[in-house]
Amino acid sequence: MKETRKWIFHRISAVIVAPLFAWLYFTLISLSTKNYQEAIYFFENSLVRILVIVLFFVGFFHAKISLNEIFNDYIHDPKIKNVANILSLILSIIVPVIILILLVYKI
Amino acid sequence: MTDNQNPLSPHLQIYRWHISSLLSITHRISGVINLFSLILIFFWVLVLSLGENHYESFLLVINSFVGKFFLIGFTWSMSFHLLSGIRHLIWDFGYGFEIKTANISGIIVIISSLILTVVFWLMGRGLI
Repeated sequence: MKETRKWIFHRISAVIVAPLFAWLYFTLISLSTKNYQEAIYFFENSLVRILVIVLFFVGFFHAKISLNEIFNDYIHDPKIKNVANILSLILSIIVPVIILILLVYKI
Repeated sequence: MTDNQNPLSPHLQIYRWHISSLLSITHRISGVINLFSLILIFFWVLVLSLGENHYESFLLVINSFVGKFFLIGFTWSMSFHLLSGIRHLIWDFGYGFEIKTANISGIIVIISSLILTVVFWLMGRGLI
């Protein structure tokens, strides 16, 4: 990905993720005092599911771009840098996909 | 490839710490912590899908002293990264680069992140 495009995507994803992350974190602090049924009830709402799935996909995309920058700055061995970038790419795909499956089929 | 003998530019430890440099590295570190925080939320949803018994055990861990310590830390990290990110976005539009303004906005970010953490925690736990 070109650096300018990466920079623009990083900013756009930040604007999407910031309110979603704050909302979900606040809700989870609140859910930590409630029982299983109330947590299930919260996640049964379709809008909640969609927002959580969007948060995970866009959040991990945002993190992937940032991690790429960090690896570029601190890892000097090209081979290790490559492996780190591939691992972060796999993580940024697998975790959101599992969340999608869990929220659509398991909860 | 032969060893590059060119002199290196001065590195971080050469410079005196400023609020901007402190916030810059903290923004990066808090971003990484937020990734762990997102992974914690992932496990939260995963445990929820495993059933009531697993979820109740998870709640015990989350509500223990260590669990609360991490949750409060993650809340601060999220608050700080969010506010510092807004500061970066304002810079992206070309505002706030003057040294005095950058210093003041930095202090505002630090203090506001602490206040936001307390507000999030007290409201989230139903204490206010």
